[in-house]
Amino acid sequence: MALRGFLRSFKPFELITEEQVEQIHEGTLDVLANTGAKIYNDEALKVFKKNDCRVDFDEKLVRFPPAVVEECLRICPSSFRVRSRNPDHDLVLGLDHVVFFNFPGRDIVDLTTWESRPPSRKEHIDLVTVLDALPTVHFLNNYPYFGYSGIPENMKEMEGAAIRLAHSTKVTMEIANNDIDRFTFRMAKAIGTEIFANPNTSSPLTCYTDQTNACFLAAEHDLPSMIWDGATAGSTAPASIAGAVIASNAEVIPYIVLLQLLKPGARVAVANLVLPQNMKTGAPAFGDIGVSLHLAAYNQVWRRYGIPMVASSSGVSNSKVIGFQLAYEKTIPSLIAALSGSSAVQIHSSVYGEITAHPVQAILDDDIAHMIGRFVEGIVVSEDSLAVDLINTVGPIPGHFLGQAHTRRWWNREQYVTGSADRLTYPEWKSGGKKNDIEYAKERMEEILSTHTAHPPLTPGEEQEIEKILQEAREYFKKNGYISSSEWQEYMKTLQTEGRA
Amino acid sequence: MAVKGFVRNMKPLDVLTGEQLEEIHSATLHVLRKTGVRFDSTRALELFEKNGCRVNHDTNRVRFPEGLVEECLRKAPSRFHVRARNPENDMVWGGNTTYFQALSGMRTVDLNTWEPRTPTREEYYDAITVLDGLENVSIVPWYTPWFGFKHIPPVMAMPEGLAARLRNTSKFTCAGYSMGCELFNIQMAQAVGAELRTMMAASPPLTFYEETIDAAFRIVEAGFVLLPTSGSVYGGTAPATIAGSLVSGNAEIMAGLVFAQLVRPGTRVIAQDFSFPQNMRTGAPAFGSMEISLHQAAFNQIWHGYGIPTDGGVCYPNSKKIDYQAGYEKAIIATIGALSGTNTIWIQGALYGELAFHPVQAVIDDDIAGMLGRFLQGIEVNDETLAVGVIDEVGPIPGHYLNQPHTRKWWKKEQFIPRASDRLTHPEWLKQGKKDCIAIAKERCEQIRSCHRVSPPLTESQEQDVERIVKEARNFYRKKGLISDIEWENYQKDIASPNYPYG
Repeated sequence: MALRGFLRSFKPFELITEEQVEQIHEGTLDVLANTGAKIYNDEALKVFKKNDCRVDFDEKLVRFPPAVVEECLRICPSSFRVRSRNPDHDLVLGLDHVVFFNFPGRDIVDLTTWESRPPSRKEHIDLVTVLDALPTVHFLNNYPYFGYSGIPENMKEMEGAAIRLAHSTKVTMEIANNDIDRFTFRMAKAIGTEIFANPNTSSPLTCYTDQTNACFLAAEHDLPSMIWDGATAGSTAPASIAGAVIASNAEVIPYIVLLQLLKPGARVAVANLVLPQNMKTGAPAFGDIGVSLHLAAYNQVWRRYGIPMVASSSGVSNSKVIGFQLAYEKTIPSLIAALSGSSAVQIHSSVYGEITAHPVQAILDDDIAHMIGRFVEGIVVSEDSLAVDLINTVGPIPGHFLGQAHTRRWWNREQYVTGSADRLTYPEWKSGGKKNDIEYAKERMEEILSTHTAHPPLTPGEEQEIEKILQEAREYFKKNGYISSSEWQEYMKTLQTEGRA
Repeated sequence: MAVKGFVRNMKPLDVLTGEQLEEIHSATLHVLRKTGVRFDSTRALELFEKNGCRVNHDTNRVRFPEGLVEECLRKAPSRFHVRARNPENDMVWGGNTTYFQALSGMRTVDLNTWEPRTPTREEYYDAITVLDGLENVSIVPWYTPWFGFKHIPPVMAMPEGLAARLRNTSKFTCAGYSMGCELFNIQMAQAVGAELRTMMAASPPLTFYEETIDAAFRIVEAGFVLLPTSGSVYGGTAPATIAGSLVSGNAEIMAGLVFAQLVRPGTRVIAQDFSFPQNMRTGAPAFGSMEISLHQAAFNQIWHGYGIPTDGGVCYPNSKKIDYQAGYEKAIIATIGALSGTNTIWIQGALYGELAFHPVQAVIDDDIAGMLGRFLQGIEVNDETLAVGVIDEVGPIPGHYLNQPHTRKWWKKEQFIPRASDRLTHPEWLKQGKKDCIAIAKERCEQIRSCHRVSPPLTESQEQDVERIVKEARNFYRKKGLISDIEWENYQKDIASPNYPYG
């Protein structure tokens, strides 16, 4: 038993022709062979050199022969399982199913003022608890908030990882910044779960040391990798969508090549967080339709490669409030991503950009994910569902279908009934206090928080092991100058308050 | 010169296999042949009988031979021109072109309390002005924006509404039928040189009433566009299965199409999907639900396979407010409608069900329409857009694309800049008063209302004709006893007020 998501029942939507996919592929090979990418990791340079790539050790520049690229793409599995400590929450990622997961936010958002602030530890735990409970969250991103108040920057993700591992049994992942993943991988191993390594590209065409190290760690621990590209079309990638797809491809493929050279058949997925540049503000243009166009083209290319692809840019909007704009800016790309073949779509919990999140938002997004999943599962066409004899029996008016056994048997299979939406008529809505979706979601959040816990819970031994690794991480980062004295003092106070010092 | 619409530059989304399409088609023909459709009109029954259908005059049941149905499908044009009052707003429906149209509601809403109320005449005319000013509204259909306004008797809602639309927009419009009002609608449209689209709405299951049929005769004989529609609720007036509701709904629409081709071969027909699942708890249609989109996608595949343009993607949310739920409910329906090839999509303006409309909502929805329109245009893949040379020139970090001519040329083509959404950074947003899309849309709505004017306005003689016809309609219904004394009194006061007809 595993989490596979929704089975796709019809061919993915195609934005571009097969010939255009080939043109993009050729362009990608051309860039990798002639322009190359900068890889700031001497160990990696040696691996590439040993495997027929052209390496300039002074410039840290690697040029990749097409044959090497194509072979490495070929040996990536098109579908794979990631094991959880609860086998029911194993994740299966592939091309014929679509799963969903959360998009992080740095801070929690106040649902009245819409202003943001760092969450408390309890609020961080609450969000993870809600995500663990939601049926359409099939795995967890890292974060989901950037830590919580009272802990130093460099420990935010680590403390967050510890919370995820304790309060959810869904598969998660870890970022590679400043070697955080070294510790998180050990924590995951200690409790018998696999997590994704997360090498991130730096656009344009650059792979930094710690991100590349993640590939070595993934190979060493035999973990799957989810490779993130977050270029901005118009500033760190070409403004044209076709060009932005090529640039993005050329940035993730070096990691894929390295992973396959280190461990042939390594499990790999690629994640697309490419956004257009907002040419007025300088920020990414979250929610722009260019996101959907890029996702659709990108999906087609990566389906050609047979490698699972993750839609990440679908999860971000430019709206600061939970309202109409947030809805369409997240829904349109998430839907298009699923329809055009994404293996995973990131949607739950994020409000503005990667700046704010909230568990109420995650609950609202659970309905959207369900609806999209219902759509990709398609329509049953059979003798029973065509119902020709029934139509004949009922006939014209005054006939109707309400009292039919066929209706009782089928309506619940055909419909997805949303969990946190207003489905009332006007009079009921007025007499029921004019509740809207946020209010329904708040009720559901309270219910989840009062009843749900991760199953199975960590054993006392596992909890101790995690805390031990955290303590090692604290001392490592303090020793290496990542935590200042004043930050350390505040941190110790926080841990004391939590009873963890 | 016609309005181009959004041309879909890729194959549409297909949700059914070839085999499934055949099964649904065969089942539909079977229903038409074996079960038949009820037509409560002697004139229609005679027409069908004369053309080879089996007619039971006791039950008004018409059974259609397959050959006749398929021949009529072939006769209906697959692409056609429709004429608006301003030829620059003409359209071509069919094929891979998509237009967006406003979506009406019975009443307006208060944007603070979200409670509905009947609009004033001024609000009615102003809302049409806003729709005329929105870039992506190509059609201002029947009832739009609302089902009438204060002080007018219900029976005059349609003629007054059409008069208001002809006065305040030169975009293509439509008119419904009720109590024979299509007689006046047709005259008004002809007086200003515009064509109309009118529905021929089945009463599911499998029934057409006399009033509907009479109106359809008039519209088709006038040479206007007919929109056969089902309006079924699956689980209530159609089978609960999407496949089954497609069969019964399509049988109804096909019967309407056959009718139109028999009355006047070559009649322009656009098939509408206006079906909803049954909300099994409340009894109302389950507006905003995902099954609407599944139904729509399959419907498009079927009817485009027949070579008939489609209308649908009816973006009614179940939410009573302009909120998150309304956003995703409308976005899903509109997106699927666009990707699966709906030729005319209903979106701008509606709130809950068919019960509310607001011009501020229309302004916000216009951005969705613009976004989807941009998506349908697709992406260019050529040497220039592949940008391999530019990528090589920029290279890895510290290279960037901000100062590239390529960027200056392409960024705007690849993005869609919305007019009513928050695109600020967090600090800017805080500083500028934390405006959300509703606040921004209110400003834009007011700007359009105060600055935009219809082009061209009606000529003096056109205005006189329109007013004369509306007056004839008033007197006609008054004489028929369809306007009570008290209604008439209030109505006359409204007509006598200064600045009539604007209010």
